[in-house]
Amino acid sequence: MSAPGTDEIVVDHLTKQYKKLRAVDDLSFRVRSGRVTGFLGPNGAGKTTTLRMLLGLVAPTAGTATFGDQRYADLHDPVRRVGAVLEASSAHRGRTGRNHLRMICRAAGLPDTRSDEVLEMVGLTPAANRKFKGYSLGMKQRLGIAAAMLGDPRVLILDEPANGLDPEGIRWMRDLLKALAGQGRTVLVSSHLLGEMQLLADDVVIVAAGKLIRQGPVDQVLGDMSGGVVVRVRTPQTEALTTALSELSATVTPGPEGSLLVHGAEAAAVGHAAFTAGVELHELATERGDLEQVFLQLTAGKAGIR
Amino acid sequence: MSLVNAELFKVRTTSLWWIMGLVLLPLYAASVLVNWANSNVTTPPDDAGVTDTQSAQIEAALEPINVATNLYTSGQFFGILIVLLLSAIIVTSEFFHLTATTTFLTTPRRESVILAKFGAAVVIGLAVWLITTVLNLIVVPPIMNNLELGSQLGEPAVWRAIGLNALAFVLWGVLGVGAGVLIRSQIAATLILAITYVVGSAAVSLIFFLLSEYVAEWISNLQVLVPTSASQLMISGTDLPGSPPRWVGAVVLIGYAIVTGFLGTWLTKRRDIS
Repeated sequence: MSAPGTDEIVVDHLTKQYKKLRAVDDLSFRVRSGRVTGFLGPNGAGKTTTLRMLLGLVAPTAGTATFGDQRYADLHDPVRRVGAVLEASSAHRGRTGRNHLRMICRAAGLPDTRSDEVLEMVGLTPAANRKFKGYSLGMKQRLGIAAAMLGDPRVLILDEPANGLDPEGIRWMRDLLKALAGQGRTVLVSSHLLGEMQLLADDVVIVAAGKLIRQGPVDQVLGDMSGGVVVRVRTPQTEALTTALSELSATVTPGPEGSLLVHGAEAAAVGHAAFTAGVELHELATERGDLEQVFLQLTAGKAGIR
Repeated sequence: MSLVNAELFKVRTTSLWWIMGLVLLPLYAASVLVNWANSNVTTPPDDAGVTDTQSAQIEAALEPINVATNLYTSGQFFGILIVLLLSAIIVTSEFFHLTATTTFLTTPRRESVILAKFGAAVVIGLAVWLITTVLNLIVVPPIMNNLELGSQLGEPAVWRAIGLNALAFVLWGVLGVGAGVLIRSQIAATLILAITYVVGSAAVSLIFFLLSEYVAEWISNLQVLVPTSASQLMISGTDLPGSPPRWVGAVVLIGYAIVTGFLGTWLTKRRDIS
């Protein structure tokens, strides 16, 4: 294994044990730079706890989470290295958006003018002097992203950033994050919204019950799980079709509502096999595995409240 | 220093500071009037049923120099209360408004953050001290003339009391930050501190009075261990009969400030921020 680049996120056997709950359980994965990585899992899977350990806010019970080989607390200039958006509502209600950003600038030794630049970037300039309590959830998310961008960091970490954004806001954020990754930055985005990740992420890390379920490029994870193409067929002659298809070295599994799912053969081949065997078909359709289905399969039985 | 600056910026950019200021002004005015009224009492006659120590204390308190130190440090009681609450809120508001995450992401070395908060509390303490002291220097000389005692501003003891008053404000600010870390809930912290400070010091005086009256007189010397009594003692003009020397008051307050300061920093370092 090659030495980690300085902007690569390395999570290594990370564990967090609360009194009765193992929130994160021996979790290891890597996040490469120049790509958007989706950190996926049902609610309560340990995503937020993992991110908080990565950012030095929560102490791990065991294992490490580092940027390159440095822990967040050991970074020389954390605001310029890593930007994070953790909670949408983490600002003082009585403080204006601009002052919230200036407060960070002062603590981080950045010029006050940076706050106006990032406000412009996220489109909040008109609301800059409004108090935080008057912000909508979408505006709070934008302010969070503005705060994360203050130091122009090479690594961005966002916890459920799509929460509260309208469709236009979601598209805006998707474009922004893709552009940032395109500039070679590392972008890690947690979410339980799978459809959004399918459009946004290059890589995915899937967790459930604090454990790693699967990681890799989106296409590959999708492909692995669905075995490529799945063909759904419906027939009154189940046995005859199964026999005919076994000659194609395709496997047949029971599908929903009495249908059959054929793995490892194209729709045309399945149709031809049925025709030659004289099997009557009522339905023949190609299904591509989408992340949502893969996710539900992968995390089945582990998504409940713990 | 930029972190202290950031902490003061946090205080400046919410409405808390001027609300506290508005609360302080009438309380300050009341303190001056009460101190003035107390300076007008006369020595009780010998058969008034007070103990020797008490009458000696009253006599001492009526000496011009002690009247002067008392009046020139008017507003200490409520000024310190405001500083105490502001200092505690500097810490608790981070958890109340969930800004602790932002703060510790910006500055992952948590001891630096707490240290900056101590710094900010010292600045706030000195600011409130400066305001009350300037007001006292304007308001008190006419009162002293009215009492026919002269302004007493030539007396080093007066200036020493004013200086020690500044120390009291600073130490209570540090105490407030420590208390804010220990009691993280904003509502609990402000209520507990305000009640202990206001009611507590009266209750403690009563308890010590009864103990020294009915158990042993030396117990009243232990009253200096109560922070409010310690700061009262520290600013008294001369050593009052029956009380420990003034430096004991300073030592007690510094002790509390150090203990809460270290405990607070240690706790903040090991806590999970979620």
